[in-house]
This record gives sequence, C-alpha cells and structure tokens, in this order.
Amino acid sequence: MAERRKFKKRYCKYCEQKVEFIDYKELNSLKFSLSERFKIMPRRLTGNCKRHQELVTVAIKRARQTALIPYVIDRKKVVENPFEIIR
Amino acid sequence: MNHYELLFVLRPTLTDEETKIEIEKIQSNIIAQDANIVVTDDMGMRKLAYPVEKNERGHYTVVYFQALGIAIAEIERLLRINEEILKFLTVKYTNKKDIAQFTKITEAISKKNTPAPAKEEVVVTEETSAIEETPVTEVEEAPVTEETQAIEEATTNKEA
Repeated sequence: MAERRKFKKRYCKYCEQKVEFIDYKELNSLKFSLSERFKIMPRRLTGNCKRHQELVTVAIKRARQTALIPYVIDRKKVVENPFEIIR
Repeated sequence: MNHYELLFVLRPTLTDEETKIEIEKIQSNIIAQDANIVVTDDMGMRKLAYPVEKNERGHYTVVYFQALGIAIAEIERLLRINEEILKFLTVKYTNKKDIAQFTKITEAISKKNTPAPAKEEVVVTEETSAIEETPVTEVEEAPVTEETQAIEEATTNKEA
C-alpha cells in the first residue's frame, strides 16, 4: 500500500487559490506544473483539475515560444539549478 | 474593439536609445491602426531560455492595447519585417473573465510605471553587469592561490 501511493491526496492547487487566469509571463505560477527538465507535469502527478491544467499548458507553451522557458533541457546543456533561470 | 497584448523581444546589441526608438516605432505602428494603447510594460533585459539567432539575451517589452481584429495582421506584418525583433507574440483576451484580468494587469502596471520607472531600469542593468563580471574572476583566482600555498607549505614541511 505504501509503495502504491507515492503522492498525497490530490487537490488542485490553482482551485485552492481561486486562480481564474494564468499569465504566461508570471513564471512562478507555472513552476509548479513543470518538471525539472521543463516538461509539463501530467495531471495525475500534480493533481490539477482539468480546467486549470488546460490553462497552465497554454500558458507554458506561450512562455516557451517567447523564450521565457526552455523547450527542453537535455544532456548537452545541463544546468545545475534549472529553476535559477526563472526569476 | 478587442483587447490584445503584444510581447516582443528586441536584440541585445542595440543601445538604450535605439531600443527606445524601436519601441516608440512599434507603438506608433499600433496607433496607426486606429488602436489605443492602454499601457506598455518594459520588462528590461532578460536572459533568454534558449539562444535565438545566436543571441543569449533580449530586451522584453509588453504592450497592452485595444484594436480591431483586422489591425493585428498589419501590426504583425510590420513586426516580421523589422530585423531588430527576435520574437513576438500577440494574445487576445476573449472572455469576460479575461478582460477583467486585462484591466487588473494594466492597472497594476500603470501604477508601477508612475512612481519612478527610470530608477528601476538603471538598477537592473547594473545588477546584470555586476553578476557577469565579478564572480568569474574571483572563482578562478581564489582556489588556485590556496592550493599552491598549501602545496608550497607541504613541500617546505617535508624539506624541514
């Protein structure tokens, strides 16, 4: 049982804060839904509700287009503190 | 009239005056399309997440404006022609909720702009330049000297 449940009880963090709109320029709000390699975290791990997940994905993709967030971090360009980029 | 937001990234090689001129040019382009600009937010020089046309940094600016849908095509056409622009993105605010956010954001920025916009810019540029220059030299020099000293001490001890 202990192994099966790696994550705590799921709830949507964005719902808790009553976020109605996610700005792609506010990188701190996107940080939660990004993995260390700047992939979009799936809903089953973050616990986001569907509505907010859709808002977040759009925001992340826009941030990627405008070079605020990298598309990928691979072995060729490893950063020690990946979230240092986000200020 | 729809609510729009336009973000564009200018080349880092431009001087401060040139960037100002470029931003004004783009603003005048937007105004020429019967649009009214609400606010412009100068995000300043930032490090890009990935190199764009071999540039590591870029000057970010965001313009919030109201315009007709037809105007966007012309504005974007002019942006594409401009070679000083690395990237741009226009976002439309459609729902009532989005538009409420639009007003919120614009008000916040206009408040931020009014007290002292000039001071902020200066601070940012100084910080970035200081960070780039100072640590590199320190890190390179410091450990080498310590090591050599240690080695020297060790050798002297052995000899003694």
